[in-house]
Amino acid sequence: MQGMPSLRDVPFFRHLNDDEREELEELLEPAAFEAGETIFEEGGPEDRLYVITLGTVEVHKAVIAGRRQHLATVEAPTIVGEMGLLTEPRATASVQARTPVEAYGIDRDRFLEMLDADAPAACKVVYEIGRTLAGRMARTDESIAGIIAHLERAGADYFTDFEIFQDRLIREWSF
Amino acid sequence: MVIVEEGLQGVRFFEFLTEEEREEFAEGSEPAAFDAGEMIIEEGRDPGSLFVLISGSVEVSKRVSGGGDLLLARIDAAEGRTVVGERGLLGESGASATVRAAGPVEAINIPRETFRRMVSEGRPAAFKLSYRIARTLARRLTRLDEEVVEAIRELESRGETDLEAFRDKLITDWAI
Repeated sequence: MQGMPSLRDVPFFRHLNDDEREELEELLEPAAFEAGETIFEEGGPEDRLYVITLGTVEVHKAVIAGRRQHLATVEAPTIVGEMGLLTEPRATASVQARTPVEAYGIDRDRFLEMLDADAPAACKVVYEIGRTLAGRMARTDESIAGIIAHLERAGADYFTDFEIFQDRLIREWSF
Repeated sequence: MVIVEEGLQGVRFFEFLTEEEREEFAEGSEPAAFDAGEMIIEEGRDPGSLFVLISGSVEVSKRVSGGGDLLLARIDAAEGRTVVGERGLLGESGASATVRAAGPVEAINIPRETFRRMVSEGRPAAFKLSYRIARTLARRLTRLDEEVVEAIRELESRGETDLEAFRDKLITDWAI
């Protein structure tokens, strides 16, 4: 594990000045996951945000009982748990380390306290998260528009293409 | 003509700001008026502004394949001043629906440039608003996901589907 945490390479932290970065670094708790280890379990708690500095994670969701659907593969540098921060602290999908992962955990409650106190560091990170969500929302809208169009076109025959549009539906998942 | 400073009062979306912060937004905003039938936000186009609806009502609609528009919502400012186009402050993508004035509409236009300038100046008001928008988007995304999952499960289990009901379910929470 590296010595001093460095947030400089993580896009979500790019607008922080040195003071703000230091302020945030006080909240960081180093964490490491082995390949295959679960970071968030679907339906389980999501009470931390992880800044992933090394490695790759995979996101899955049990869309249909007994079938785990792969939603995304995400490489460092990135963050996971941002939806839990902004909504409920409950994971809506599972996040698993695909390779050995090095990360920093940030406690959700402590981060929210910073936000409520209007700490610039926390506010700037949320601005970046918001920009990501705006893009994700736009793509989700497009996917759903595609599904609706598909349903309208396909009528009774839609089942032949069921898997294709199912994939499109869930490509842009939030986690 | 709407007085911008007053227009931002009593809007739920701006409630969490102090009076001074609302004024900061008001300074970089301008009144806007639309005639019946006029487009406020056009589907597929980057709106580039958040609009606070002060009076009048608007219709939100979406183009559907095979031509025609699907009415998603009707919003009446008389039931509370509200905003449209909030996603456009954070992102640059095209609007997912059209917002059209159903009658004469008075609004306040907060351009993205105003918002971005406030962000680059490090003004707390802009970040507070980002937080608010981010939370709105996150909740919407979560609900959309839930509905989509629900829809998939339903389709899978029924082996037949009521297309009408399925479609309505998917569009109940459309983001503008």
